[in-house]
Amino acid sequence: MTQEAFISTSADHDSAPDIATQGLSLAYGNVSVIEELELRLPGGQVTAIVGPNGCGKSTLLSGMSRLLKPRAGTVLLDGADIQRLPSRQLAKRLALLPQQPHAPEALTVAELVRFGRHPHQSWLRQWSPEDKRGVDEALELTGLTTLAERPVDALSGGQRQRAWIAMAIAQQTSTLLLDEPTSALDLGHQVEVYELIRSLTTTGKTIVMVIHDLIGACRYADHLIAMHQGRILAEGPPHETVTTDLVRRLYGVDCTLMTDPATGAPLLTNVRRTRDALDGSAT
Amino acid sequence: MTSPIDAPSSVRQDKYYLALPLGQRSPLRVIVDKRNLLVNLLLLGLLILLAGISLNTGSAASLSLPATLRALFGEGDPLDIFVIRDLRLPRVVAGIATGGAFALAGCLMQTVARNRLATPGIVGLDNGATAFAVASVVGTGISLAPPAMALTGAAVAAALTFGLTGRIGVRGYRFLVAGIGVGAVFGAITQLMLTRVSIDAANAAYPWTVGSLNARPDHAVLSLSLALLPALLAGIWLTRSLTVLRLSDAVAIGLGIAAGRCRMAALSVAVILPGLAVAVAGPVGMVALIGPEFARQLSARNTVPVLGATLAGAVVMVAADLLGRVLLAPIEIPVGIVTALIGSPLLLWILLNPNARTTP
Repeated sequence: MTQEAFISTSADHDSAPDIATQGLSLAYGNVSVIEELELRLPGGQVTAIVGPNGCGKSTLLSGMSRLLKPRAGTVLLDGADIQRLPSRQLAKRLALLPQQPHAPEALTVAELVRFGRHPHQSWLRQWSPEDKRGVDEALELTGLTTLAERPVDALSGGQRQRAWIAMAIAQQTSTLLLDEPTSALDLGHQVEVYELIRSLTTTGKTIVMVIHDLIGACRYADHLIAMHQGRILAEGPPHETVTTDLVRRLYGVDCTLMTDPATGAPLLTNVRRTRDALDGSAT
Repeated sequence: MTSPIDAPSSVRQDKYYLALPLGQRSPLRVIVDKRNLLVNLLLLGLLILLAGISLNTGSAASLSLPATLRALFGEGDPLDIFVIRDLRLPRVVAGIATGGAFALAGCLMQTVARNRLATPGIVGLDNGATAFAVASVVGTGISLAPPAMALTGAAVAAALTFGLTGRIGVRGYRFLVAGIGVGAVFGAITQLMLTRVSIDAANAAYPWTVGSLNARPDHAVLSLSLALLPALLAGIWLTRSLTVLRLSDAVAIGLGIAAGRCRMAALSVAVILPGLAVAVAGPVGMVALIGPEFARQLSARNTVPVLGATLAGAVVMVAADLLGRVLLAPIEIPVGIVTALIGSPLLLWILLNPNARTTP
């Protein structure tokens, strides 16, 4: 990316923070997953990171949320190195919803959402009017106000995921990272969660989600990042990015690509295994 | 001054008080769970009651309750004063301190390990402390084990267990199994050392190795009492973070909690306290299982009952010691045996009851 392009991109999204990585290398023990990754995610938009199992997309999200310390390189949130920010300061700017979190038995929705206020509180200041407002707003945005006193584990899958998202909303951060927020849900609950995530962009949040569902990514994301073996194969708006060639290189399947007449999003049909094992990139 | 919280949708007024010590615009705003407040007051009342009964019970002198109280405050017959203040009171104090210490350590370790079976006793710390203390007795010939030795033993056992488990990030059952192994080794070492000393020394050490408030060295009680108060305050301070850390590391880190540091702090307390408590009363580790369990059953769910567990542990210890003195009087049953008798069925119940949650 040239210097000019760099400047204009950041100027476009003055209000919403963007996330960038510089020379980011991530590893689990001695197993390197991502090496020297340069990436810039647009602020104020929904970015979906897609790719086959084991491509490093969840690892990347762990690196961006400081769950995993980089072996080298930095993750920049609005230009600031997240490793140098105090934990609480970071948690006021960046919220994370891990993959399929479990709520302890009998924890109510309201209690869970209250945890989202944790970075804004201290031992001496455990509850303030701002906390009340934050929790109420999060419950309202996620449509859970009437379910606030219900135990989280008594909710449907979609409601439960909405409750966790409400916790992240109550954190009142400008950036939200979600790790496979829809992977354990049926179609109806998936749409419920996707539409909630979409609605959050109207509040100016920058959202990054790792998802398996390429079709959902095309439909609900503004920006797509396709990863394979720790590298980025393609990035950009879904309708410009997704090609039959990309799908073949990512997943080792052939497909017919159409444009969804209702939404204009790319649509994959006639998905089938690639006959010839092309460049061996399919795993 | 307390006031109801004006947020029915998120913090229910009927479940919490908002303590505003400096008025409505107070910068100090502390949430107090009504149920936990009640439970802690009840446990405190029970503890005072049991301590009173314990002071009033014994074979040396038969005193009326008012006479006991008068003697406690230094009035009345000099012999009574001696019996109450010099014989029975230190024993009750030692019981409260050791019970509280074991249970507080248990509560913290269970929470960090996310497993109700992960108490310092079960992961081998008590046995490590005992082995080191016995080694000092055997080596130096003095009958009182210095607390520093027991503390060292607990730390060594902890280091071994964590070393075998791989890293500080505790891994549920692997951590437990490694700890049980470490504990067994130290238990064997203790037995071996006891067979090498003279029969008199072994006899003297025996009640202490099963857990007894009889042998309590004064300096050990003092070290423990001095450590317990800051440890309790640290535990209460950590409660907010631990409550979130219960969910998962990823959630806690996302909420800005330094998970590693919080875990280290909680585990340090959970290693130091049993070390010092073993120096007083021997390995009465079952209290670390019973106390927190007792507190958890009574307290509001989804809270980490740090104070409740400490009080409940003290209650259990004082009650068990009292029982041991009364049941077969004038023969005294060591408190460790009484707690084992209560604790073992509880342990089985946790392991076998399908409805009992294994996570604290």
